[in-house]
Amino acid sequence: MTNRLEIQDLWVSHDGQMILKGVTLTLPLGEVHALMGPNGAGKSTLGKVIAGDPTYQVEKGRILLDGEEITDLSPDERARKGLFLAFQYPVEVPGVQVANFLRLALKERLGQEPPITEFYARLKEAIELLDWDEAVLSRYLNEGFSGGEKKKNEILQLMVLRPRYAILDETDSGLDIDALKVVARGVNSMRGPAFSALVITHYQRLLNYIVPDVVHVMMNGRVVKTGGPELALELEKRGYDWLKEEVAGA
Amino acid sequence: MIDVLPTNPEELAARLSEPGWLKEARTGAQAVFEAVPWPTRKTEEWRYAAGRLKEVPFELPLALPRGRRLSRDQLPAGVKRRLAEAELAGFLVFVGADLVYAELPEELKAKGVVFTSLHQALAEHPERVEANLYKAIPARQKGDANDKLPALAAALWTHGVFLYVPAGVEIGGPLGVFHVAEPGELAIGRTLVLLDDHAQAAYIEEHLSEKPGAAVHLGMTELFLRPGARLAHANVQTLNPESHRLYRQRAVLEKDAALNDLMVNLGARFARAEVGSELVGPGADSEMLGVYFAAGDQHHDHHTLQHHVAPHAKSDVYYKGTAKDRGTIVYQGLIKLEPTAQKTDAYQTNRNLLLSREASVESVPQLEIAANDVRCSHGSSIAPIDEEQLFYLATRGIGRKGAENLLVAAFLEDVLGRIALKNLAAYLARVIEEKVRG
Ligand SMILES: Nc1ncnc2c1ncn2[C@@H]1O[C@H](COP(=O)(O)OP(=O)(O)OP(=O)(O)O)[C@@H](O)[C@H]1O
Ligand SMILES: [Mg+2]
Repeated sequence: MTNRLEIQDLWVSHDGQMILKGVTLTLPLGEVHALMGPNGAGKSTLGKVIAGDPTYQVEKGRILLDGEEITDLSPDERARKGLFLAFQYPVEVPGVQVANFLRLALKERLGQEPPITEFYARLKEAIELLDWDEAVLSRYLNEGFSGGEKKKNEILQLMVLRPRYAILDETDSGLDIDALKVVARGVNSMRGPAFSALVITHYQRLLNYIVPDVVHVMMNGRVVKTGGPELALELEKRGYDWLKEEVAGA
Repeated sequence: MIDVLPTNPEELAARLSEPGWLKEARTGAQAVFEAVPWPTRKTEEWRYAAGRLKEVPFELPLALPRGRRLSRDQLPAGVKRRLAEAELAGFLVFVGADLVYAELPEELKAKGVVFTSLHQALAEHPERVEANLYKAIPARQKGDANDKLPALAAALWTHGVFLYVPAGVEIGGPLGVFHVAEPGELAIGRTLVLLDDHAQAAYIEEHLSEKPGAAVHLGMTELFLRPGARLAHANVQTLNPESHRLYRQRAVLEKDAALNDLMVNLGARFARAEVGSELVGPGADSEMLGVYFAAGDQHHDHHTLQHHVAPHAKSDVYYKGTAKDRGTIVYQGLIKLEPTAQKTDAYQTNRNLLLSREASVESVPQLEIAANDVRCSHGSSIAPIDEEQLFYLATRGIGRKGAENLLVAAFLEDVLGRIALKNLAAYLARVIEEKVRG
């Protein structure tokens, strides 16, 4: 069947400036893909546009989820269809407790109040796997969280909400090595035939723990190369210049 | 707007069998009403509300007592719903100008607590009423347009509430008063609350509509807190969106008296609340909270006054609210310190959250300080709902309404948390949620 997230020739602008210039990418359900590329290549923009960020303008192209076009859906509708974005810069929401927020999010996804015991079981499981303290559940969402705690909180949400397609935008940046392992453990616990992730990262380090099936490289608003896990190792060794030349030469 | 009183105050006094001093007070108020002009845009305190004032149908017939009584079963449905959750120690229900139902435990009566209509109090405790009525809100105060409504109210009030709590008596649960507005009427009411030395009470007054249709309610509330008295006071209006509400409240706080006040505007087309505290005794403490939510074409207008006369007193205003659709909000606040008010602590904060581009807010905090050894601060803010937060919540599956509701609840959490009456706060949170989603 068509169980996959598909980006077809996506052109996106912001304030009249074209940022994505024909991105094409397919993420089949059950796979983990890495998305790499230099600063400013458009990786976060792609993630936000897939999630439905209304501040960007889709000029051309389509986004399909399991064969259904979602390009014009609101972000919450996309989320309820199984999409999730772990933000590069998670937003602080003072006054909203983590547990209350997650219960509401789950309720909106399920269309009904989640069974309370199952909800707490999910929370407990995620908290334990992430080596965290239950105290975090009564804190206000991301308010006063350290950079690393914010990233961990994104994975906590991922584990409780259980989307089918997750985009993780630099969830590894700002993490110490132990936190990195913990976050990777969280993501790996989700892996299986009914879960895919697009892992945006600058570092091979994360990919040692979350081994991708496929690696894509973005430059200047396009996916310029797709390969296996060895592509990430090559970028780690050689940087992006050779690829820039390759793209320019083509 | 009316230029002459629609009813003769002397005839009204006779009809209501009132004593001579009250008849005179009414005719005195009539003279003030006729002498001062209506507020206009040029009246500083009415800059943002004069237009709405013009729309108020003061020509509606004055609500007069008609002797209606109801059994508890016959009470209006909205009142019964509130009674089911409010856990009140006693309550009065008014429909229009009639006190239709009253309940006060014998135990409180035995302790000397008086909780009844003002006219009943005039008959049974005439000296207490005479010594206090109009003392905090006289018909004539500034001699200008600001006196127009207090003068109208002083001349023509037809019904009201009297609460007296004797020295040292503490009332366990809150006392409640429900005013059910009758469409097509101009209702003018008064509330007089007297707490003697070290008395303690909680008082909630709610104004609601059972039916659609424009009603006008003009209300004046005078609160007297003798030394050491403690009062939790709330005035809550959820009138239908065609109605008009004009309200003034003055509290007089003597030595070490403490007030936790709450003004809530959720209903009405136009609601104006002028809430003031006079701190006349050292150690007095006036906490003044406000919660409001203007939706549709609602206009909610708030004025606070923290008037410090005595030294070593404290006042803290915290007004917070939301507007959506084309709702408009006004907040004007004044901290006024007399030269005698050294060592004052006075704070004033107004925060507003806007859910739509068409909604608007005017926030005007003001200080008038004639003492030098004081701590005062004021601040105000107006912010649209945070689109980044909405997007973040949306990516988790929470739709616009759900997210707005979450953010409004988060925004109001601290002010609701400071309300002394806990289950009132829970009720308000629910009404606000309905308004966000509505
Ligand atoms: N909201 C925005 N306003 C202005 N410019 C933007 C906005 N979003 C993206 N851009 C621009 O688009 C380009 C791509 O940005 P984007 O954040 O997607 O890059 P990135 O690949 O995620 O980079 P990094 O690796 O540094 O996170 C950049 O030049 C950026 O300045
Ligand atoms: Mg980025």
